[in-house]
Amino acid sequence: MRSKALLLGLLCAVAAQTARAQPPAPVEIKIGALYASSGPYASISMPVAAGFRLWVDQTNANGGAEVKAFGKKIPIKLIAYDDQSSTATAATLYNQLITQDHVDLLIADSGSVLTSVGVPIAKEHKQFLFDVSGTGAAFFTDDNPYVALMADPVSTIWPHYISDFLADEGAKAGIKTVAILFSTNDFTGTQAAALKGFFEKDGKVKIVYYQGVPTTTSNYTVLINNIAALNPDAVLELGYVGNDIAFLRNLQDSGNQFRFVFSIYAGVEKEEIEKNVGVSALTHIYTYVPPSNYEYVPEVGMTQKEFHAAWDKKYPPGSKVTFGANAVYGYMTGLVVERALATAKSLDQMDIHDAVFALSGKLKTLDGTFVLRKDGAQIGEVTPLGQLQPEGKDDLTLVAVYPPDMANGKAVIGK
Amino acid sequence: MRDTRIRRIVLDTGIAAAVVVAMGVARGVYSNELMLFNFIIFLTLAQGLNIIYGFTGYLPFGYVGFYGAGAYGFALVVMHLHAPAMIGMVAAGVAALVLAVILLPLLRLSGAYFAIASMAAAQAVYEIVANPDLEDITKGPYGVSLADVFAPAFSYYTALAILAATLLLVVWLRNSRFGMSLQAIRDDSISAAMAGVSVVRGRTIAWLLSALIAGLVGGVFAWHISVFYPDTAFDLSVSIFATVFLLFGGATTLCGPLLGVFILYGIYNVIGIAVPQYFQFTYGALIVLLVLFLPNGLVSLLTSRGIRVP
Repeated sequence: MRSKALLLGLLCAVAAQTARAQPPAPVEIKIGALYASSGPYASISMPVAAGFRLWVDQTNANGGAEVKAFGKKIPIKLIAYDDQSSTATAATLYNQLITQDHVDLLIADSGSVLTSVGVPIAKEHKQFLFDVSGTGAAFFTDDNPYVALMADPVSTIWPHYISDFLADEGAKAGIKTVAILFSTNDFTGTQAAALKGFFEKDGKVKIVYYQGVPTTTSNYTVLINNIAALNPDAVLELGYVGNDIAFLRNLQDSGNQFRFVFSIYAGVEKEEIEKNVGVSALTHIYTYVPPSNYEYVPEVGMTQKEFHAAWDKKYPPGSKVTFGANAVYGYMTGLVVERALATAKSLDQMDIHDAVFALSGKLKTLDGTFVLRKDGAQIGEVTPLGQLQPEGKDDLTLVAVYPPDMANGKAVIGK
Repeated sequence: MRDTRIRRIVLDTGIAAAVVVAMGVARGVYSNELMLFNFIIFLTLAQGLNIIYGFTGYLPFGYVGFYGAGAYGFALVVMHLHAPAMIGMVAAGVAALVLAVILLPLLRLSGAYFAIASMAAAQAVYEIVANPDLEDITKGPYGVSLADVFAPAFSYYTALAILAATLLLVVWLRNSRFGMSLQAIRDDSISAAMAGVSVVRGRTIAWLLSALIAGLVGGVFAWHISVFYPDTAFDLSVSIFATVFLLFGGATTLCGPLLGVFILYGIYNVIGIAVPQYFQFTYGALIVLLVLFLPNGLVSLLTSRGIRVP
């Protein structure tokens, strides 16, 4: 009799302990995110937000995200605020999401500037920050486990293939001098500095022009003429969408021609740029080949073609958002969230951190291979060098030309 | 007469103390600390602007220049000398004062000319700070990170102390001979000079005090936020917000700017978070209504009936 009572007591104790250790499953997983519907960062932020929302809607349509901590599917509730491209507003809203909405997962706004204010706030509140595309090197330090870059590599990795190409095939074609014109912000300034270092180290191509201009620059006519006066073989213009549109328009209007012209967003946001500058201004422009124009073989989530079709269905032509790399970045971040929830032991932020870092090197999506450095910086998901080449009468195709193992076409270098 | 003055001072000080205590207590009640911190920032900036505009009639659209100078004064000392935050705060005040001294000749202008010139000066300082060639010193356009001194609680209470000092300064100006002389200068500088008021001295002191407040606020902002860009520190909307809050509530009073900030910045946060698409419409409509029906601010509802507003 006594032993039965003892056994019953033990069972009750174990049951109580289990009940304490396993909190009840929440009705929904709250994900907080910021976006900018207006201001200078709207053009990169809105496609990210739309891509992420597409993932949320798809997930909820399938009954929710698989959450290992509770052994079941739980619907996602997205709480998204508009920071209007203001860092001050963004800072307040990051706080709002953490302290008032008590979100389970926190997604940063797009780009380095609007992510920058979220990094110390997330660290202070010990909330893991899913940094979508804030590539600023200063965000990633060994003493901050509460941030990781999701969808594109840190700025220093982006331009590697440009310098490699010019030092290799460019040098063979007689390219000896280069002009670098860049917008002075974290994203493009860091790339310009990295390129300068690569060229100086290689010693095969000489920099004859190296100039930073404010990101607000909207007229490049004088700058293009200054560059033309130095007669460089290659011109690399590194700016945001608005900068690239202005530069490419002004370049065409000026009548100046260079053997090799590079622009970041000519390929990264091809549809948006093409809509604004036309096909002729983009022909033979070199650019990065983003995941929206390259067929990686995903092991998780949709392929690039499936995603593009889903995007066109949800955001038909004429919508405010256009398909491009940032759309993929938003969706890709959703995939990381999905896999993290499916493997994290609990919703504790350090468990989320561990789950995200455990995906490093293993997660292959339409954005390439997700690889994190120890400090949270993204070093996978590389961007091959490409060129916009004519396809038919009035169309352009983005061809990957370097590195050779990723190339699907041959570069055409001007005479 | 003397009793009335003492009663006024006690009432004004009581209001100032109530605001400071409320903001201090709010931190323990409401956990979005940054929103409360921003309230303190604008409460202080609006009062700093009140000192130069309300008491002397000079409206500097480029007031953010002192704020940015303070933020970068703080950042430079902390980044390069690895100084503690309190030394950084001293540097923030000094930076703003140095800029104010350099810009003293602007006081020879008046009205719209002064407003535009001050804005141009703030823009010039921004261009210098954001110059990529000065990256080694200011970090240029790439922004600064002050993670080593990041201390949200300490910086919050420092901001509160600056607000308390600023409110007491305004109470003093409202009830002192010096404050009266500034208002006399504002209303008619020639008559004031003929009555023995030192116009240049009065304006200069008000200008420096106003700049010092903005510089200290800029410094504590840099300390609290710890990561910022020149665009953030010299954002013209800081000037615009402070000016609108001041004008909405009513200048030269203690309560006017307080009301302006609590009402307008409150609405800004509620609408900005809940329905941002209606924010600009609502804000714009409020300002249009104010200019049409209450050009002297909310407090004029009472002052026009002969009721003194603290």
